[in-house]
Amino acid sequence: MRLMKTTLPCLAAALLALPLLAGCAERPDPTDPDAVAEFRQNNDPIEPFNRTMYSVHQGIDKVVLRPVAVGYRKVVPQPVRTGIRNLLGNLRTPVILANDMLQGQPRRAGDTLGRFLINTTLGLGGIFDVASSHFGVRGHSEDYGQTLAVWGVGEGAYLFIPILGPSNPRDLTGFGLGIASDPLTWVGQGVAVDALVGTRTGVTVVDTRESLIDALDAVDRESLDSYATLRSAYRQRRRAEIENRIGDAAPAAAGGTGFGVGTGIAP
Amino acid sequence: MHTIQRRLLLGTAFALPLAGPAWAQQDIGRAASFIQSTGQDLVAAINDTRSDLATRRSRVAAVLRRAVDIDGVGRFILGRWWRHATPQEQAEYLKLFEETLIRNLSARFGEYQGVRFSLGRSQQRTEDDVLVNTIIERPNSAPFALDWRVGDVGGQPKVVDVIAEGTSLRLTQRSEYSAVIQQNGGQVAALLTAMKRQIQQLAQREQQAR
Repeated sequence: MRLMKTTLPCLAAALLALPLLAGCAERPDPTDPDAVAEFRQNNDPIEPFNRTMYSVHQGIDKVVLRPVAVGYRKVVPQPVRTGIRNLLGNLRTPVILANDMLQGQPRRAGDTLGRFLINTTLGLGGIFDVASSHFGVRGHSEDYGQTLAVWGVGEGAYLFIPILGPSNPRDLTGFGLGIASDPLTWVGQGVAVDALVGTRTGVTVVDTRESLIDALDAVDRESLDSYATLRSAYRQRRRAEIENRIGDAAPAAAGGTGFGVGTGIAP
Repeated sequence: MHTIQRRLLLGTAFALPLAGPAWAQQDIGRAASFIQSTGQDLVAAINDTRSDLATRRSRVAAVLRRAVDIDGVGRFILGRWWRHATPQEQAEYLKLFEETLIRNLSARFGEYQGVRFSLGRSQQRTEDDVLVNTIIERPNSAPFALDWRVGDVGGQPKVVDVIAEGTSLRLTQRSEYSAVIQQNGGQVAALLTAMKRQIQQLAQREQQAR
């Protein structure tokens, strides 16, 4: 049974990655309990494959994502960027509200609904977060990955996905559910709607990367193994978010997996 | 999670053979005022622009040596590799670890110029430590929260961990150091080499940031 638990995800991931078959992590020496404990703690049975994906990501990030984010920060003034982030957060309301309710958190659901009504009207469609600045109701993030976790679904093996960032099968499923359940995915068809959805996705990626410039720069500069640092930070931060321990640290615009949830590293 | 707690407990037990039951009675008020005064000392040293770099660094170093359980945290972070290291490697590692801690802060004197610090709202007790919440404010930068885990080492309150956005620094750093050793065929010496290189880089940044 224990064997199945560790080898199955490995097998599945290896199948997915057939062309790139990088193999699974070396098993720890079973006679060394500390090594076995660490192997379990890291929860990364397909580490060599993940590290390959991480270097692919670093390549894309260096050439495209980071330069675009830096350009965005340079060209677009701070108040406008804040407005855009608020708007993206407001658009995430349906997903956050659904998950507040699925987790049986009526107070948080009330906050989310109240914020949506106030910010959409007084906040001019969500550009201004008046609910937070004038009514003291701060935004929080929720997603289907967190709900699955609250329901007792395990995270599964750690995954690093280029562009998206650190994840796992549970959070990835939640991410998919978030897209599928978002009314904006289904509002209609046609070029205009496609363009709007595409724009929103693009802006979300740029906004997320911009918010992480300082933290990821610090990791790249200071960590002796940035892959391991990000893995540890993602999993700790995710746990804190699931337990609603970090309060308002994650903005409402935060995504459900990957770099969207933030790195958990103070600048 | 369970193993971490056990290791922690073990680590504390080794570090405090004489402290007896006192360590379980860590007092919230004492931990908070300890963090308050330590924070004020650090902020004063960082913002002391009239002194030269070396003076400020040695002031920061003195505060850190007094307030942080450097040996305990260092051993925790090296984790399972501590046993694999020779006594010389252990000694060198602890020296490098302390130097890294100090240089990490002194390399940021420029960034942290004008920093302010205040106690936050929630101070809470965990199994055997106290978590003291603080808010760090820098000019032109959004304030952020840092939680300091204060343990009792030989009857004195000492910082044993720093937590930002739900992420424990000593856990992240343990992953990082262990990965370096593993990626280099289980050689602790490889980590020591990497740490030395890192200290050199931090020293360069310290000079550039002036």
